[in-house]
Amino acid sequence: MRLLAEIALVAIAAGAVAVCLACLPSSARAQWHRATVPQPPRPEQLMQFERLVGRSEASALTVHAYLRPVLVEIASRRLAARGHALDRMPESVGRSLLGAPLWELVRPDRPFPEDRHGPGVSARELRTLLEVLEEL
Amino acid sequence: MLALTGGAVVAGLASGRPELVVLATPILLFVGVGLVLSSEPRLAAELDLARTRLIEGESVMATVRVRNDGIAAVDIELALVRTRQVILEPEGPVMMRLDSGRSVKLEFQVRPQRWGAHSVGPVLVRARDPLGMMVWDTRLGQVVTLRSFPREQRLRELVAPLRTQPFLGAHVARVRGSGIEFADVRPFTSGDRVRQVNWRATARRGDLYVTERHPEHASDVVLLLDTFAEARDAASGTLDAAVRAAASMARAHLARRDRVALVDFGGALHWLEPAFGTTQLYRIVDALLASDIAFSYAWRAVESIPRQLLPPGALVLAITPLLDERSIRLITDLRTPGRDLTVIEVSPLLHTRPGPTAADAAGYQLWKLHRDALRTRLQALGIGTAVWDEGKADLEGVNSFRRLAGQAGRG
Repeated sequence: MRLLAEIALVAIAAGAVAVCLACLPSSARAQWHRATVPQPPRPEQLMQFERLVGRSEASALTVHAYLRPVLVEIASRRLAARGHALDRMPESVGRSLLGAPLWELVRPDRPFPEDRHGPGVSARELRTLLEVLEEL
Repeated sequence: MLALTGGAVVAGLASGRPELVVLATPILLFVGVGLVLSSEPRLAAELDLARTRLIEGESVMATVRVRNDGIAAVDIELALVRTRQVILEPEGPVMMRLDSGRSVKLEFQVRPQRWGAHSVGPVLVRARDPLGMMVWDTRLGQVVTLRSFPREQRLRELVAPLRTQPFLGAHVARVRGSGIEFADVRPFTSGDRVRQVNWRATARRGDLYVTERHPEHASDVVLLLDTFAEARDAASGTLDAAVRAAASMARAHLARRDRVALVDFGGALHWLEPAFGTTQLYRIVDALLASDIAFSYAWRAVESIPRQLLPPGALVLAITPLLDERSIRLITDLRTPGRDLTVIEVSPLLHTRPGPTAADAAGYQLWKLHRDALRTRLQALGIGTAVWDEGKADLEGVNSFRRLAGQAGRG
């Protein structure tokens, strides 16, 4: 009985200390007057492109159906500024201006991929292609 | 604490051990005295701002007077409730003891970080009795609306309208008539005034020649503010820049005696019809303060803009981050024969960074190139584009482009 009472005494004292500590003003409690500021979201347009690149890594179909039209538009506009038309460009000129990998992707007569579930274009490969476009 | 104390008393009585009761007694006494002495504080507070209208970036003094009408002294923590983009100095809650019947005056520097209508107040008060037994949270005083007007940039050049209206203004009209700006010389015809005779040309050619001049006319300017989407970082966003651009352009065009209209084009459609003068400037600035990004799936076509807002021959300045397909479609649809359209792009690139992964970096690069292509596409449609960079937009370049595009269009 005595042991039980001593255990209860210690438990009550420990509980009291814990309650007192909890009542001390902490840095978090000092912020009671302040509203939380949410992180501003990224533009949806940018996130669409980030998602497109992510999906293009895994699927040849996504590359052909979604990534290629974007690259074709960019390449067409940039080539037009230099007096070239992508849709009427001879293969030799296209290869020399754009390089073989980019030309294979944006050439007007690019066939539908045979293996639509095959791998697409990795982010690293895509960055190389985009650097070519930037330099145009 | 009370539960623990009560538990100690019960345990002491049950076990027949007086130590537990002795341990609990001071706490019970403390609680009892605290409860007897504590009474709900009677506080009153007033909030006063030195002025309620200021220019973005300026600060204003806020005075808070707190009075303790209760019978006991209270410890208070005091803070000002305000909208997110208002900075306070001092920022944190002010702590003090306020004796009965006393009042205290506190001063805060209030600085809105951006334009807009901000609310300051009420005063948030957390009061404790002297023993710290009881805590009361309350809101006192009124809410004051602080209107922070967008900072305007001084523009060195404006987009010159291709067409002018037949009322007096500051733009050199394309048509010929009575004015100051030289247009051409031509042979004298019956009805010409003698004062129009160009004596130098007449002497050189041996026949009567007269000088033709361009009259100075005003134009209609429609500021089309795209509020479909924006890019933001912690400090600012494209909408902030767009509002500053709109305010700056409105002021500059109204100073040239142009009629200016405003169309806030986004999830919600708001507009101000074209008008002249300083009153219109105040109306526009007031309307700009209410601009915000309103999320919406609504598709807006050109037809949704009231006709009277797009008078024939008006110069339409679309201020846009080019982030939403709906606004891009609207801009291309607005490009019809007889409509004079220019895009002032508030670039989202200043407020975004590439993500952490390689795919994010490639996506960001692709996005930038896509935006370049979009700008080129607009230019191919004959729409001049300029990037707004805090008043340093290349409006001279736009004017050159528009002159060339106009010549190509006529050719």
